[in-house]
Amino acid sequence: MKSAAKNTPDPEAVEQSGETAEPVIEGQPESPGEQTITFRSIRDEDSGGPEPDEGPDDDEPDAGGPGITESGAVESGMVESGAVEDTGGSSGDEQDSGADSAGSADSADAPDVSSADAPDVSSADVPDVSSTDGPDASGETSGGTDPPGEPADEEVSETPSEEPAGDGSPEGTPSPNGGPVREIPLPEPVSAALTAALAQLRVAVKGLHFGLDVPGSDEARKTQNAVLAQIDDYVIPRVHMSTAPALIVVAGSTGAGKSTLVNTLAAQNVTKTGVRRPTTGTPVLACHPDDYEWFAKGDLLGGLTRVDKLSEDTGPDSVVLVPTPRLPQGVALLDTPDIDSVVEEHQDIAHRMLDAADLWVFVTTAARYADAPSWGLLRRAKERGARLVIVLSRVPMKSRDVIVKHFGRMLDEYGLADVERFVINETAVREGRLADEEVTDLRLWMAELSVDDEGRAEAVQATLNGVFDSFRTRLPALARHLETQVALRADLRSDVDSAYMAALAEIDEATRNGSLLRGEVLARWQDFAGSGDLMRTLQLRRGGKAQHKGPERLRALKSALRTGLESVITSAVQRASEEVVVRWRQRAGAGDRLAATPGLGRPSDEIVRRTVRTITAWQDHVTELIRTEGVTKRSVARLVSFDVESLSLIFTVGLLGYGTTDVSVGAGNSALPQRLLRGLLGAESLRSISAKARSDLRARIGLLFDEETLRYVDELDSAGIPDEAAATRLYQATYNLEVAR
Amino acid sequence: MSTVSTAETRHGLGTRLAALARIVELGQGRIDPALITEAAQLLLRAGDRLKLSPDHTVVALAGGTGSGKSSLFNSISGLELSPIGVRRPTTARTHACVWGLEGAGPLLDWLQIQWRHRFARASALDKGESQLHGLILLDLPDHDSIRALTDPEANRLIQVADLVVWVLDPQKYADASVHRRYVTDLAGHDAVTVFVLNQSDRLSHEEQAECVADLEDLLKREGVTDPQVVATSALTGKGIDGLKAVLAKSVSTRRAAYQRLEADLDRLMARLAKNVPDLLHVDPTVDGARKAGLTDALCDAVGVSALGEAMENVYGVRSVDWVGWPYARWAAKFRRDPLSSLRLGAVKDDIRSLVGSAVSAQPAEVDNAVQALADGLTAGMPEVWQNGVRQAARGRSAQLPKALSGELSEVAPPLDRVPGWWWLLKIWQYVLVALFVVGLAWIGSILAYGVFKVGKPPMNILGDVGALPWVGLMLVSVLGLGILSAVASRNFVILGASNERDRLERDMRRRVTTVAQETVIQPVERELQRYNDYFAAITEAKR
Repeated sequence: MKSAAKNTPDPEAVEQSGETAEPVIEGQPESPGEQTITFRSIRDEDSGGPEPDEGPDDDEPDAGGPGITESGAVESGMVESGAVEDTGGSSGDEQDSGADSAGSADSADAPDVSSADAPDVSSADVPDVSSTDGPDASGETSGGTDPPGEPADEEVSETPSEEPAGDGSPEGTPSPNGGPVREIPLPEPVSAALTAALAQLRVAVKGLHFGLDVPGSDEARKTQNAVLAQIDDYVIPRVHMSTAPALIVVAGSTGAGKSTLVNTLAAQNVTKTGVRRPTTGTPVLACHPDDYEWFAKGDLLGGLTRVDKLSEDTGPDSVVLVPTPRLPQGVALLDTPDIDSVVEEHQDIAHRMLDAADLWVFVTTAARYADAPSWGLLRRAKERGARLVIVLSRVPMKSRDVIVKHFGRMLDEYGLADVERFVINETAVREGRLADEEVTDLRLWMAELSVDDEGRAEAVQATLNGVFDSFRTRLPALARHLETQVALRADLRSDVDSAYMAALAEIDEATRNGSLLRGEVLARWQDFAGSGDLMRTLQLRRGGKAQHKGPERLRALKSALRTGLESVITSAVQRASEEVVVRWRQRAGAGDRLAATPGLGRPSDEIVRRTVRTITAWQDHVTELIRTEGVTKRSVARLVSFDVESLSLIFTVGLLGYGTTDVSVGAGNSALPQRLLRGLLGAESLRSISAKARSDLRARIGLLFDEETLRYVDELDSAGIPDEAAATRLYQATYNLEVAR
Repeated sequence: MSTVSTAETRHGLGTRLAALARIVELGQGRIDPALITEAAQLLLRAGDRLKLSPDHTVVALAGGTGSGKSSLFNSISGLELSPIGVRRPTTARTHACVWGLEGAGPLLDWLQIQWRHRFARASALDKGESQLHGLILLDLPDHDSIRALTDPEANRLIQVADLVVWVLDPQKYADASVHRRYVTDLAGHDAVTVFVLNQSDRLSHEEQAECVADLEDLLKREGVTDPQVVATSALTGKGIDGLKAVLAKSVSTRRAAYQRLEADLDRLMARLAKNVPDLLHVDPTVDGARKAGLTDALCDAVGVSALGEAMENVYGVRSVDWVGWPYARWAAKFRRDPLSSLRLGAVKDDIRSLVGSAVSAQPAEVDNAVQALADGLTAGMPEVWQNGVRQAARGRSAQLPKALSGELSEVAPPLDRVPGWWWLLKIWQYVLVALFVVGLAWIGSILAYGVFKVGKPPMNILGDVGALPWVGLMLVSVLGLGILSAVASRNFVILGASNERDRLERDMRRRVTTVAQETVIQPVERELQRYNDYFAAITEAKR
């Protein structure tokens, strides 16, 4: 606000007589509505014809090709004011020479302008326009010849370099001229880089997906939406047209008198006031009629529907647009819903409006200034680096000093010492408005903002920079949250895996330590061996055909083995599924919710069928192994033949019931089936079959478990798969934006 | 009349609180620990409050900063007790004013009101205010300023006061900090909540009516069915008498404390009873069919029937060694044994020792059997209770296989047992063999002495050719007797084995049932009983 302070006399004048251009030298202070139209029509012409007319200006280092006339004006304004401020005495000459040559330049430009504008513009305006245009040309021409012209030269060459930096003046100067005229205020390359970076950022933010309910995921989703809305509503339009009218958002507690304040400033009842709380539900934008078009069509707050009047069916995503001539040009007031009433949507709307604001006007009252939500808003403004103005309203006359001092001290302590403050006394509200003298200061401030293009642009830019700065922390926070989600997902996944790995190990253990050879299996095995069937499976060669004397016992043993193995697997799976749920419950938020999915705590319905199939297939596989690989030792083969079916059963009992089939154990100690089999098949062959059979069993059970774990993975996926690359993309986009700024 | 209703309320509240205590006890580990904590706190608070002076009613003036709580406090008490000011927030400590001090001390201690902030209105001074006797009026600090973020004082006292008077003002009456944090939370506390629209002097008459109507609408939307809204102005004194009358009514009936606790209880119960299943009562005993099912499954895990079968078969086979016809056995020995030709002779001993090993239960099958029982019993119960029953069933199932094994090895005879009569039969068979040998020798001697005349027989009978057919007949019949008795005894063995098997199976079943009853059924039934008790307590506390 320094520049504003410097210019204080001007806005007063402007405020009193918006049309009297005389007292103001710099910029285009007078810029009334008609003139805006004038400029727009110039530009309209520009795009077509007037380029050739600019012949004399060809040598000027102007980057903005299509908008030469305008940027020329911009620069001229810049040069001029710069010269006045910086070069002091020497500038006088220049001014003169500029003024002089302006006359000559006029001859070149004036016909063009006047021919375009003759119908709209009063004759008084035309020379003014051309005079601003003029010095530019003169600056160029005289700059080369005049010795004191050097600083001017410097200025000129500096100007384009300032533009990329997005500094106030180039964008700021023409701002009263209306919107579309200043579409390309930034030199192409930077704008393109920034646009690209923003587009990339937008995609990256949009691409984030927070499916899992971790603590903070709600906030993350909110931040994501807020950032998206802010990019669309504010950042992209602002970057493209940083010279557009500044948007002042009036925010504060319910009942603080925001609407009353806006009405008073607009000098007409643009928004509803009343004793009902909360009063305002739909934001109301009041602006000068000249800016109306810009707000009606522009991209700023592009996500909101424009309506003319508040009606019953006005949705939450709309903004009421009201033109009012009492507001100065270049600043628009936006009345927002409250930040702290029971209607929570209001807070969201208010925050969205604030995200699109160039300046924040925070309204609080004598009764409210210590409220926690108010300070929450102040903290937010501070974090965002937004340009802030504080209005303390409804201050009773008699305690004004105490309150103002106390509040001031609180603000100072909070680190908001240099924020501009206004105090409005408690007065009677008439027809939704305060007495006009209460808001004189504020009106002055706004008028000043309106005429002080540089100051306004600076404020706009400061807020924009603040938003960019806030991206620096908000976006990495989002990315970090996404990484948390990715990590959590990995954890949940590994919970499932480790539970089933444990189950597999359990099965392994049960088939090694002999616990399978218990109960029924043991009894059947005893039956089989004790009743002599075991011996009968071995037939002397000469004895003729193998007779199956006890096929029922064989079958019983086989089915007992299968049942035993099945129950080992079933019990392991049951425990694994319970374990998964227990582990998931211990994970914060998301796991708990996922674990509540019915049916996850128990094995799937098909598990029994699948297990039976698996075991049967494995038993067949073992039989096949014995048949093909169990080549009998030659010495044995001469003497006995054996029944493959029975032998594979004996083998299974040996494998699963007696634990390891490792035959390296001394002859005396190894278990019956092993010794028998070793005698028949040979140690080498037995070992290889054992290894194969066991690994095959493991593989089959592994497959079975994979199908089981699929249920959990599906459940995880249904919550959305966080994309690990999205975080990286976001970091990259944030970095690119920083580079492009 | 009022005493009766008070007593009734008190009685009802007492039983309900007792039920709540049972819920706290039974719900451990079954419901959200936060709820348990809250219930325990309510119990504690209710116990304390009901013990302390029933003649006093604690009324708290609560509200946002700047709504005029202190002004209202001062105008009700008629004294400048609580400092008022324009700086926000003004009041940082709770002030209390007591009408009728006797007996209020412990209550004020409990409320943690500092001594220097306690004031008393001596009844004698209060002309026409005797109906306020028993009132403890609290002026709370605000709950919504930045200071309140770190100070739980207002929050604490709002939770414990008997009657809460919300002091609102036209500017702040719709603040989320009041409605979201408290009003919605305290919905159902209508009887013990009063809303005051203070600073009504700032509004015109119509505005005030609109404001009050709007506030009432808002409150109704939030679940306050019958809001008491009083418009006051601490500045002009308007409406103060109306507020006093409301307070007096509450104080004189002395019911606010109970109503407050009841409302709190109702509210807590609404949350506790939120997920109450349709199935409020399960059969607390495990029915016979399920028990039999469990026993069957456990018997399978032990392999009872397979064991019986094995015993039958093994006995049949082994008895051949003892009671079989010896000649057949000897003949078999001459057949070539594949094992010995493979030098695997020791395998036979292995088989023998295998048959001798003890009975045992398979852990996985035991596990599944128990699981199936729990699943069957808990159908329709909420998952957390299902888990509870499952845990109870499983609690001792780790020892179950061992217990079953230990129990059953006592009954099950080792398969290599040799009954005494087998010995007798073996002797009998050998006697027959001996007779056969003797007969052969006789025939030999008759042939030697009687036919070939190699010498004079030592005894006539040894050379009597005429006896030869008789001796031959005797030999044949000895052999025949051997075969017959072998067959017969084998049949006996099998018959005995099958009897043995029946007995064994019955015995084992009985013991399995006993073990199951102790290690599975009883814990499960306890858990089912707990389920029933819990939901009975819920129903009772819900009223």
